[in-house]
Amino acid sequence: MWRLNKVRHKAGRLGGSLEEFKLKKREHEKALRQARRDRQLVSKRLLLNEDEDQPEVNMDTASGEQVRQIGPEREAHLKALSKALHDPTAQLTFIKQENSMHLLVGLLTGSNASCRLQAVRCLHELSHSSHANVAPACLPATPYLLTYLSGQSTKFTELCLYTLGNLCPESDAVKEKLLAQGIIPALASCIENQRHNLAVVEAVGFTLSQLLQAKDAAAKIIPLVLASSLPSHLLSVLTPDPKFGLAPAIECAWCLHYLTCSMEDNRVLLAQGALLKCSCLLVSLGAAVAEGNKEDGMELLICPLLRCMGNLLSSCPVENLSTEVGDIHVVVALCALLQAYLQSQPALARESAWVLNNLTAHSSALCSALLTLNLVPGLIQLLPFSQGINTMILRVLANIAHKKKEFCVQLAHLGLLSALYATLKMADQEMVTLSMDVLFMLVVSGPQVAEEFVKQGGLLLIEAIQYNSEGEIRRRATYLLEHHLVDVESAVF
Amino acid sequence: MLQPELARLLAGGQVLLKSCDEDCPSGDTHELRQREADEGNPFNYTPQLIHLHKDHQLFEDGDIHRHMYLQDLYISEADDKTTLSVSEFACHISGCSAVFSTLEEYEHHYNSLHRHVCCSCRRSLPSARLLDIHIQEWHDSLFNILAQRQDMYQCLVEGCGQKFRTSKQRKDHLIRLHKYPPDFRFDKTKKDRGTRETKRQLQHKDAAMEVVDDVCESEGVCEVMCDVLSDQPERGESMETHVSRDDEAARMAESASAEEHAGLSAAAHSAGNTGTEPPKPRYSYRLVFKEVCCKPLDVFRLFLAQYCCTQRGHVVPFIRCF
Repeated sequence: MWRLNKVRHKAGRLGGSLEEFKLKKREHEKALRQARRDRQLVSKRLLLNEDEDQPEVNMDTASGEQVRQIGPEREAHLKALSKALHDPTAQLTFIKQENSMHLLVGLLTGSNASCRLQAVRCLHELSHSSHANVAPACLPATPYLLTYLSGQSTKFTELCLYTLGNLCPESDAVKEKLLAQGIIPALASCIENQRHNLAVVEAVGFTLSQLLQAKDAAAKIIPLVLASSLPSHLLSVLTPDPKFGLAPAIECAWCLHYLTCSMEDNRVLLAQGALLKCSCLLVSLGAAVAEGNKEDGMELLICPLLRCMGNLLSSCPVENLSTEVGDIHVVVALCALLQAYLQSQPALARESAWVLNNLTAHSSALCSALLTLNLVPGLIQLLPFSQGINTMILRVLANIAHKKKEFCVQLAHLGLLSALYATLKMADQEMVTLSMDVLFMLVVSGPQVAEEFVKQGGLLLIEAIQYNSEGEIRRRATYLLEHHLVDVESAVF
Repeated sequence: MLQPELARLLAGGQVLLKSCDEDCPSGDTHELRQREADEGNPFNYTPQLIHLHKDHQLFEDGDIHRHMYLQDLYISEADDKTTLSVSEFACHISGCSAVFSTLEEYEHHYNSLHRHVCCSCRRSLPSARLLDIHIQEWHDSLFNILAQRQDMYQCLVEGCGQKFRTSKQRKDHLIRLHKYPPDFRFDKTKKDRGTRETKRQLQHKDAAMEVVDDVCESEGVCEVMCDVLSDQPERGESMETHVSRDDEAARMAESASAEEHAGLSAAAHSAGNTGTEPPKPRYSYRLVFKEVCCKPLDVFRLFLAQYCCTQRGHVVPFIRCF
């Protein structure tokens, strides 16, 4: 289910102002960044019951005593327990009770369907805990949860999946156990049988993404996933359903990202048309964005698609590029995304530029497309922006210049030469080096460009660069002056 | 390009990418570069496919955004502040570490401090004309000879055109007619460069540059630099042998190791010039660095001595000196 609207309502309902929410978010963000630096970035998801109020914590309920009694009230007691287990203290109390988990598993596998549902709710609450002892207590339930994935009940299957997904990142031992119990085939058949049930598909995507984020996923998990039918199902879900929302596509896209970034060789995914699929999707998303239909949360889907495309391109042989990429308008879409997200999500702009680099590195046709579709001036305008945006864009422009002298002349006419006057003075040494490289390519492309450069006072600029603190840059400046600008100077002046 | 134009392009239907004959790593510039590679061409840009692993720095923001969403902390972009930043500019002249937020500030800095610098004595003059006059009056022996017989000291005011027999006469003219201050910074006489005591006073009063050989002796910096500098006033220089890069390069080649020849190449700069002919007269407005023997720290200390307006060791931003 598409949770974004719910989240916003929740924030409003809690009574706190948007400011408080933002403050909480910023603190949380800092914690997440540190976790990522420590390679410990892990999240769990809690499936909220839509119409429930805040639960009241009742220690009696939490102990599960009431549940032990057989009778018609059992279901009601279980419901109360699942609400109570929302509280961390209650969770600890529960698992400390002797045989509490055994009881819960019994109810999970019992003959009463409603009790099963409530039991899995309890397990789900427990699985969401970040306490070291609580979630692992759920392990005895996993074989049953996996078995139930082939069932047909939506809500029940969803809860099983999210519970499993929350347990995956607990430890290597847990992952090994789940793999041994056949989680991958179970996920594959679940997504296959339930592919029209998008809520379940979203849940499968989430659970799989939790598995694929593991540190050693490349060694054990990914080969199993690639060998299964999961990749083709993931690809088929990528096109978002307009009614249901972006969520299932988002989860599957992130799974594909974890698959493509772990492998240097993505032949399996390329053979299944992954690059073509990502490319087409980005074209339609880019079109929507260019028309002003920027949906909330769209970037959550665009980001993993960009990453898949970028990494798939890096293992795509140049001869196959045309079949794998398809529509040349993908470069238009990338430029649209670059401009649309530049202010709000600069990282997304940077990733779009990265994909453009990989597209233009070895393809003359795509470089030519950027020129003929008049996309270059827009790219040149992005050269002032830092944090990796301008370096990546300059690489794209360098890729174009590298292909043909005619391209260099066009680039110079479109304003790249003038832009270099500024980029050569930037603080970032990588920008200066790249600018020198581009300038060299432009100047050697033909006498017109060299003359234009000298006429605009380029010599003084290069002479100053001869005193740059970096030896490599000094060498380039001297070489350029002596081999390519000296004759021009006497011709012009 | 505006978004509507992009939208139009994208709505226009699919255009299939055709595979090209030129879709290979080398373009036609490749051959040219092959040739040049033999001649020690340092330019080696090659387009590269970049593969990014899961934990790459470039992916950090996107990952954080994803996990915020998973943890129900998503905020739509309309509510969020932008984190976009603009590149800064920096003076990369060896020894200078000034950083600027706009190109204009950079240009002002460069033009004020690095543009019109006398190669001989490192003095920075505010304009090409004043630099010309300075070089003529301070470092040209022929000037001294001619000045004994004719009026050689030009009025510093552009357009005035008057010339005087002595610098004092010119100074009086400047004060009397043009209302200049008596201690105009850019009209120091040669006698004004002197002892360290005077130097310190001057440093407090104004930003007049001190002759580098003083600094060299006191700082014990670069021997080669000192040799070069002390050479020049003594040598009988004609107008034409004002130091060109080639001469300096030749001197450098004798004293320095070959691989440090970063900024100064011995190759002839002027077109068609062979080694045997005297180099074409060139007024070098450029700062010449003998970084061959100088470590960046020494060069920086040089700058300090020249530019700093306060006690030794305390760095003052260059802009304030003027």
